[in-house]
Amino acid sequence: MEFSTLRSNNRVYMDHNATTPLSQRVRDSIPSWLDAWGNPSSIHQSGRGPKALLRDARDKVAQMLNVNPLEIVFTSGGTEANNSAIKGVFETFQRETVKGSISGRPTRNQYLFSSVEHPSVIRTAQYLEERGAEVRFISVRRDGSLDLDSYFELLSEQTALVSIMFANNETGNIFPIAKLAELAHEKGALFHSDCVQALGKTNLNLRTLGVDLASFSGHKFYALKGCGALYVRRGLQIESLIHGGGQERHRRGGTENVLAIISLGAMCEMREVVAPRMSAIEALRDYLESSVLKQISGVQLTGAQSPRIGNTSSMVIDGVDGETLLMNLDMKGYSVSTGAACSSGSPEPSPVLMAMGLARSEAQSSLRLGLGWQTTRAEVDGFLETLKVVVAHLRSFNAEKDYT
Amino acid sequence: MTGDLTREMTTALPLRADGSKLRVLVAMSGGVDSSVVAALLVEQGYDVVGVTMQVWDYTSCDIDEGFGTCCSSVDVDDARSVADRLGIPFYVINCEAKFQALVIDPFIEAYLAGKTPLPCVNCNTYLKFDHLVQKMHELDCDYLATGHYARIEENQAGRPMIVNSTDDWKDQTYFLFTIEPEIISRLMFPIGHLKKEDVRRLAEKQGLINARKKDSTGICFVGNKGYDNFIEEHASKDQLKNGSIRIFPTGEVVGEHSGIHHYTYGQRKRLGAHGAEPMYVVKIDAKAGEVWIGEEKHLYSNSLRVVQPHLIDDFEDGERLKIKIRFQHKGSWGKVFKTADGELSVEFEEPVRSVTPGQAAVIYRENQLVGGGWIV
Repeated sequence: MEFSTLRSNNRVYMDHNATTPLSQRVRDSIPSWLDAWGNPSSIHQSGRGPKALLRDARDKVAQMLNVNPLEIVFTSGGTEANNSAIKGVFETFQRETVKGSISGRPTRNQYLFSSVEHPSVIRTAQYLEERGAEVRFISVRRDGSLDLDSYFELLSEQTALVSIMFANNETGNIFPIAKLAELAHEKGALFHSDCVQALGKTNLNLRTLGVDLASFSGHKFYALKGCGALYVRRGLQIESLIHGGGQERHRRGGTENVLAIISLGAMCEMREVVAPRMSAIEALRDYLESSVLKQISGVQLTGAQSPRIGNTSSMVIDGVDGETLLMNLDMKGYSVSTGAACSSGSPEPSPVLMAMGLARSEAQSSLRLGLGWQTTRAEVDGFLETLKVVVAHLRSFNAEKDYT
Repeated sequence: MTGDLTREMTTALPLRADGSKLRVLVAMSGGVDSSVVAALLVEQGYDVVGVTMQVWDYTSCDIDEGFGTCCSSVDVDDARSVADRLGIPFYVINCEAKFQALVIDPFIEAYLAGKTPLPCVNCNTYLKFDHLVQKMHELDCDYLATGHYARIEENQAGRPMIVNSTDDWKDQTYFLFTIEPEIISRLMFPIGHLKKEDVRRLAEKQGLINARKKDSTGICFVGNKGYDNFIEEHASKDQLKNGSIRIFPTGEVVGEHSGIHHYTYGQRKRLGAHGAEPMYVVKIDAKAGEVWIGEEKHLYSNSLRVVQPHLIDDFEDGERLKIKIRFQHKGSWGKVFKTADGELSVEFEEPVRSVTPGQAAVIYRENQLVGGGWIV
């Protein structure tokens, strides 16, 4: 069967927040890693190699994050890690009921989230609410800042868990996790952070960050798809999401995706390289943004006034439909993302952008770029020229009537 | 075997001014017709871009969805498979809000007003030949191609006109009367000169996944559940109330119905003991909530009135033309007049059976689509 559409000559990939290409070191190593097909749980020698490699990967991930290897639980990805953290805490509190309470009321039943979390967190939050939890969302303003006052007000002795992401996938905004975690702890609440967009984009020191739980994903960091990690602070025990054969010290059952886990470990070895790489990408991103603002009228950056991860750019382009923009750029060889209603599912434009206060039409006209470790200045220049041409072309037609 | 199965390829295709290939936007439904269109155009040397319109939210559909419906998630996958095989760009564009507002809502409204609506025309008017034409411009394409059974030919004055397809039975020009004449030079109907079995044969030859896929019939968004069930799901209770069934023209009440949406004009209604003559629905009074039935002879009309006419070509007042009053109607000869208030009136040569309010009256000059409008 033909998959000629998968051929990627002349394609410039600018959607690194969706996923990343495999790094060269991962690509080169995969053939040798294929020999590690044994089951790490096996007692016989066929399991020894894989088991050792698993341990090695775990050490590397732990080192990257400045935590103990025992605190790392490998999962199938960021989504599973988020589900495990939130549902794990929830189920644990379901068992911890108020003494003498006939209805079995949990001692703490409030869960706080930011309003711009990834769907794997938002949907899980909604699930908790259906199960009887009190769920509240902290708003994030258009400038990218979290409403700290509202957070402080809502935090209470009733709060079981706070879950706020380190960096947002749409705008790149970074939230003051250390501070938020500290405040949560003062009220005796647990703190989880979805760090999926942060790994490989900034130095992470979970020890100083002070979080109790954190999620990570391999395929956002030039490793294979199918693995992620959940950091669980030593001393914290939560209910498992996936029960099974005792893997991950009984915290997450199921034979490990060894190949993908090794690839994540291999990327975590590149700890020293993260900051300088990010510095270079940030310079490129800033150059791209200032050029766009200078050369194309009617463009507004979203979230740029607050701290952001260095590779992400979200902008509203007046008079242009995001979906059509994406298609045009795609046909010209550029892979980008938009805030427009996703054609493969929801008819609604980006919930994150709308939660930040953008109008539907603005979200619909939003472009999102995620630069990567391999993005070059030449690619950015080429993209700028193309964007100018496409935007001018699209603006030359009448605006579509909004039927919503 | 029919003549040449593909367009004449003896001359090379013209190119754009900058030397690049002409680009065609192909509307792909996931069905075999539009898939063959894409394949043919690729073979002929055009730069092809495939699009499917997502017209509803699949997650809200019941499990039945995916069989015999158009543009369901299975159909989108089929369209995508064909695009993968042909190696062409492929996009699903979200048209849900537009489809709801301009096709589904008017359909429900018309039904509840006692009419027999024709939503496919609205889809053509606002989605295919408006929204997709817009996309054609936005995506820098030279043409928009669909899998309609229709053809484009130049008339004596050199203007492009829409004419009947080679396959009489499948001819879909009935649904195309709202196309703006200026746009015709940018349209393509690449299978209009083929018969259905040839289209399937081409699909097999190209190895297209949907070569043997059943044709979608009926209204795409209603699927298998039946029109009255669909209306019931979308209307409020008081719009579906019971009412009387009366005999036309006496007005005698002979029974009760459980909602006018269960009836369409021309429908045969068995009355049990009431007489040997079969009775037919001859009028639906939505306001009063009443259904009138009468003998077959009351189903015949000698004339009809056409509102909101849209003309692709002009005609002489009183010209003798052929009028189709429903899809796959053979057509009836009559004289067409332009009225003072911008409508049309038709005087038939022979009485015509079942002229149905809500359907379209479409006018032809021999095999050429002249225009049409709505029957009241």
